[in-house]
Amino acid sequence: MKKFFDLRFVIGIFFLAVGILLLIYSFTNPSVAHPEVNRWSSVFFIAFAVIMILMSFDKKPEDEL
Amino acid sequence: MKLHLIDYSIIGLYFLFVLGIGILLKKKIKTASDFLMSARNIPLWITSLAFISANLGAQEVLGMAANGAKYGLYTAHFYWLGAVFAMVFLGLFMMPFYYGSKARSVPEYLKLRFDEKTRTFNAFTFAAMTIFSSGISLYALAMLMQTVLGWDFNVSIWVAAGIVLAYTFLGGLTSAVYNEVLQFFLIVLGIAPLVFIGVQQAGGLHGIIANVESAKLHLWKGMSSPATNPMGTDAFSMIFGLGFVLAFGYWCTDFLVVQRAMISQNLNDARRTPLIAALPKIFMPLIVIVPGIILLALQHQFTGFDLPKNINGQTDYNMTLPLLLSKLYPSGILGVGITALIASFMSGMAGNVTAFNTVFTYDLYQSHIKPHASEKHYLNVGKATTIVGILLSIITAYVARGFNSIMDLLQLVFSFVNAPLFATFLLGMFWKKCTPNGAFWGLLSGTATAALTYSLTTAEGKGGSIANLHTFYSGTSQAFNIAWISFSVCFIITAFISLFTEKKPENELVGLVYSLTPRQQDKNRVWYKNPLWLATIVVVITVFLNILFY
Repeated sequence: MKKFFDLRFVIGIFFLAVGILLLIYSFTNPSVAHPEVNRWSSVFFIAFAVIMILMSFDKKPEDEL
Repeated sequence: MKLHLIDYSIIGLYFLFVLGIGILLKKKIKTASDFLMSARNIPLWITSLAFISANLGAQEVLGMAANGAKYGLYTAHFYWLGAVFAMVFLGLFMMPFYYGSKARSVPEYLKLRFDEKTRTFNAFTFAAMTIFSSGISLYALAMLMQTVLGWDFNVSIWVAAGIVLAYTFLGGLTSAVYNEVLQFFLIVLGIAPLVFIGVQQAGGLHGIIANVESAKLHLWKGMSSPATNPMGTDAFSMIFGLGFVLAFGYWCTDFLVVQRAMISQNLNDARRTPLIAALPKIFMPLIVIVPGIILLALQHQFTGFDLPKNINGQTDYNMTLPLLLSKLYPSGILGVGITALIASFMSGMAGNVTAFNTVFTYDLYQSHIKPHASEKHYLNVGKATTIVGILLSIITAYVARGFNSIMDLLQLVFSFVNAPLFATFLLGMFWKKCTPNGAFWGLLSGTATAALTYSLTTAEGKGGSIANLHTFYSGTSQAFNIAWISFSVCFIITAFISLFTEKKPENELVGLVYSLTPRQQDKNRVWYKNPLWLATIVVVITVFLNILFY
């Protein structure tokens, strides 16, 4: 629960969830126009999310609210 | 525009996180200082991103895209001539006074430097301005919900206002700031793919250059006369009106943005906040202006990219970004794009409401109505003011409906409030002989002059309520001219009256005036902790971009 007071962790979790949703959608709905846009965007979001979450584990005391 | 389950899921997820942050932070809010000032304990990277994100509201995302379509690359002057240099000035020269004086707000600094009446006047005008800005964000959000989700305009306004109220009421300024950072990433990552797809669809850079009129692809060409550039402005009003008065007035004196730096953990962080924020700010035109230019190229090559008309029958440039999202994004990423727009409006609205409640609580209520109440009492007043601020924003949202470019309306509001205020600050911070009476009457005269100039001129059918002595080519040009005129009047009247009225003793001005305040020593700091080095990097990049896109 304490982790949720670190904004980087919260941002990471948000983009991870959005990225996973988009990734699943891009594979389950290939008939949508330009499915590759969803796929590449999801990969980018997940990568960004992982970086934010990893950064939250390397925190200084003042980074936490 | 047809949204699918995936799009609604992403929008729902965002609302969940936004409200979750508010609920989480509620436990940490115990005093008025926690609620209104975040107890001055926010890390540098958060204050820096919140600093630009507080300005990344409807005016930035929807308004700049609208201006991109209306005026082309000229719109980048708001960044590469205005914002960046003003942010550098704030970080290098003005922040030591704001932070060092321990003032809790910009009006409170005016009280320390001048007197109570100058503070009160500024608090009133600032409160009115934040309500206007907040209302504009709300209007834009409701328009989006009406267009995209098919919701009724009135219902959209109340739903959007309710969500912003929930998280600002629960977590105060910290909740607004934390959400601003989440919103920053969402806006950048949600709109960036649109630029990529749009450029591809328009035939790459060559396609854009071939299909957009040349005048809209330059920064400085055709500036010699208002008739030869798309913005309808001249070099003097652009450089002096926008580049100096409006930009410096907004970025250096508007408490909405300055507040984000004032809640830093120490003075060095407070000074670096606008300087670090300036780096992403330089590249924001790519996200917010380029889509407007892409639309121009697409309109020239394809059908179906025409903008709708507003209720006055004029082209509704505010619909630039929603139109592009609906035409270029598939469902899925469309949900992210729509959420990014919703985020920007909520960010702009929450920023204004939190600034409004701080100024009202400390500068009007505490100083005039109940000076010596408990912290708990001021916390309750701050929370009640949040509700009032949201209700007033709803009223102004209906006023904003009559303007075809929300950016023009905002520039007009800024020219009334920030432009003369910057003259007061310039003289107050850098001239120790500037007197309280000079500042007050100068500020009053500058604001009155702005109102008079607006009443005597017209642009795009707006203004001229007394007479029409001059017609400007565009609303933007009118705002730039009102800005430099009101600034000049304020400056001259303040200086003149200061020559004949009583000045404050020098011992009361230490820490408030440049010549009487010890300088911060930065020479031995590593480059990324040295404000001077950061400012140099920012200025060099900005000058280079001005030359590149001449």
